Amino acid sequence: MTKDGFTSRLDRRTLLKAGAVIGAAQIASPFVRVARAADTIKIGVDNPLTGTYAALGKNEGIGMAMAVDEINAKGGILGRQVELSIEDSTSGDASTAVAKARKLIDRDQVSFILGNINSALAQAIANVANEKSVFHVVPGGHTDSVTGSNCHWNTFRVCNTTQTEANAVAGAVIKNAGKKWYYLTPDYAFGHTLQAGMEKAAAALGGTKVGGDLTPLGTTDFSSYLIKAQAANPDAIIFLQQGDDGVNVLKQAVQFGLDKKTHLAGAQLELEVLLGLPPEARVGTWVFEWYWNQPNVPGVKEFVAEVRKRSGGHVPTARTWFGYASIHTCALAAAQANSLDAVKMARAMQGFKLPPEIALMPDGAYYRAGQNQLIPDLYVGHPQATGKDDPEDLFVVDQVVNGADVSPTLEETMCKQDWPA
Amino acid sequence: MGNLDLRKQSTNLIVCALLLTLPFWIDHVGSYIQLGTQIVVMALAAMALNFLLGYTGVLSFGHAAYFGLGAYGTGMTIRYLLPSTGVGILVGTLVGALAAAVIGPMIVRLRGVYFAMVTIAFGQVFYFIAFRWNDVTGGDDGLTNWKRMPIDLGFTTVDIQHNATAFYYFVLVIFAVAVALMAFLLRSPFGRTLIAIRENERRARFMGVNVNFHIWMSWVISCTFMALAGSLSSLLNNFVDPRSLFWTQSGTFVIMCVMGGMRSFWGPLVGAAIFVALQDYLSSATPNWQSFVGLVFVIVVLFFPRGVMGIFRRKATE
Repeated sequence: MTKDGFTSRLDRRTLLKAGAVIGAAQIASPFVRVARAADTIKIGVDNPLTGTYAALGKNEGIGMAMAVDEINAKGGILGRQVELSIEDSTSGDASTAVAKARKLIDRDQVSFILGNINSALAQAIANVANEKSVFHVVPGGHTDSVTGSNCHWNTFRVCNTTQTEANAVAGAVIKNAGKKWYYLTPDYAFGHTLQAGMEKAAAALGGTKVGGDLTPLGTTDFSSYLIKAQAANPDAIIFLQQGDDGVNVLKQAVQFGLDKKTHLAGAQLELEVLLGLPPEARVGTWVFEWYWNQPNVPGVKEFVAEVRKRSGGHVPTARTWFGYASIHTCALAAAQANSLDAVKMARAMQGFKLPPEIALMPDGAYYRAGQNQLIPDLYVGHPQATGKDDPEDLFVVDQVVNGADVSPTLEETMCKQDWPA
Repeated sequence: MGNLDLRKQSTNLIVCALLLTLPFWIDHVGSYIQLGTQIVVMALAAMALNFLLGYTGVLSFGHAAYFGLGAYGTGMTIRYLLPSTGVGILVGTLVGALAAAVIGPMIVRLRGVYFAMVTIAFGQVFYFIAFRWNDVTGGDDGLTNWKRMPIDLGFTTVDIQHNATAFYYFVLVIFAVAVALMAFLLRSPFGRTLIAIRENERRARFMGVNVNFHIWMSWVISCTFMALAGSLSSLLNNFVDPRSLFWTQSGTFVIMCVMGGMRSFWGPLVGAAIFVALQDYLSSATPNWQSFVGLVFVIVVLFFPRGVMGIFRRKATE
């Protein structure tokens, strides 16, 4: 190979390298950022776009985008247009979620930060937001500590605590099935918290635990657990698995015919999960946090119609509403405080009641003072195999429970807010 | 030969200059200081792994365990024992070193894929302990409610808690000391022996080298620096979760080494910088960012088997 001479240099490798460099340049060019118009207000979203919670994250995203459009159409926040900065937190990698939170706060200078679906990541982001004094909204991470033992003055939460969900559903399960419960619980921090919550809620109503099993995360064959559960002869089997585990365990329980022998129930259920279940496994008693088919609540029909336009005809789920309410919470906080100062906004939201066109619930919803937890309605009911009028109408609401009646008291939550002096 | 030395020095100088001035230019390329800190931390981790992988020729897929042990050691010390960053780092690093020293004798007799598999197995043991021991480690929710503390030097206090630039330089100083130590070890007869083992283990053995002992030493040194990196990483996030111990994290470190170049001292640093920057930038642009990171990795392995630093070296020797 000759070393000099133009033609010999332009071999395959050089060409490939050149191609790679040009390709990289295409991606890298926006890396050098053009200074953005300073008059937009940024809301940072640090939510899962990949992994287990990607589908839920996408639905929350639809609600968020819709709320932003509504706010901008009405003149924005404090007269400034709103823009979302969206980052993928991943579904379980806390160090990525934390790094992304810092990126949004430090580099993008967001005025609000939203996230996360995964409770562990929600807590991690809350700690960063607190360190930086940024107004933080958790749309959909349920673990109690976020607005409980580890609460912060600047962290607001739209979705319910696991204890509230447990309290809401416990009464219905006891009424429909009986007092002797058997638990199938995923073996990690979230599952343990949820089971403790259910046990506490049941005990308050005279329910007892006749047994239980911890199932490792990612279990595919639940048959041994189900046989044991059946042998214990409970009035109800409580399933606390989420995601794929939840789908698998319910499918197998129905294959075993357990739905005929005993009552199947659980705490929280989501429309996304119901859609993934085969029709025969859509059974039991559960609680929804928001449901789209509320014919008597004003504004819901319009909300559903608008979401359908944006989601390819699909109805909004609780997640869509979480995202929607979270963004409106930011805008309302700024409007109430007439400022973007996080402390002033957080003060203004203490005890704040969401307007009905955003709450979209019979009894409305408000942020409880001293805890920053939204107290909404909960929808206790049972799934149906197929929707009559709409293929996505898979849940029948038997009873709307007012969150104020089932939420643990402020003392019980152990929340002590750390307001800056 | 003299020419080559000069070139080597120039690489060192460029790396030093870039790292020292990083806080002044990183904002202008659309990034932020925490990312720079993360690159330095990950670079230390990758270079620690490369001590074993690149210079001793032993592939470990379980190094995340020691990274995580360093992280948990530091976090738990600050949370439960003593709110001091210095003590936290010390305890974290020692815990990692101790675990490596104990586990080492059980695995140094193995070679190749068997060594890699057993390192994964031991790594997963620590992962499951962290994942399941909810009361102490916080389980899947991670270890929260603690933060890095300002450094009290006696005459002055360095506020690494709130000042991100101060924390960057704090990490950089530790990185510099660690890297200098590794470079010193590699230039010593001990380091030359490790390279001899890498090149031809049987010949090294016939020359009277206690191969297993040297691999054990290399393993412990590598894991100790890994634990130090983990400790710094936990301080960066003020948070640890079991993912930092998971075997896929070990894979990430190996990818960094391979991408940057295992035969080059600074290769893992380049690999870490590329990986962290790619991940940060691409994941903002597309949910499918992992495919692109994978694509870059495949391209590097196919066309530049000696990594990015290998390209420069080949140019120089041509």
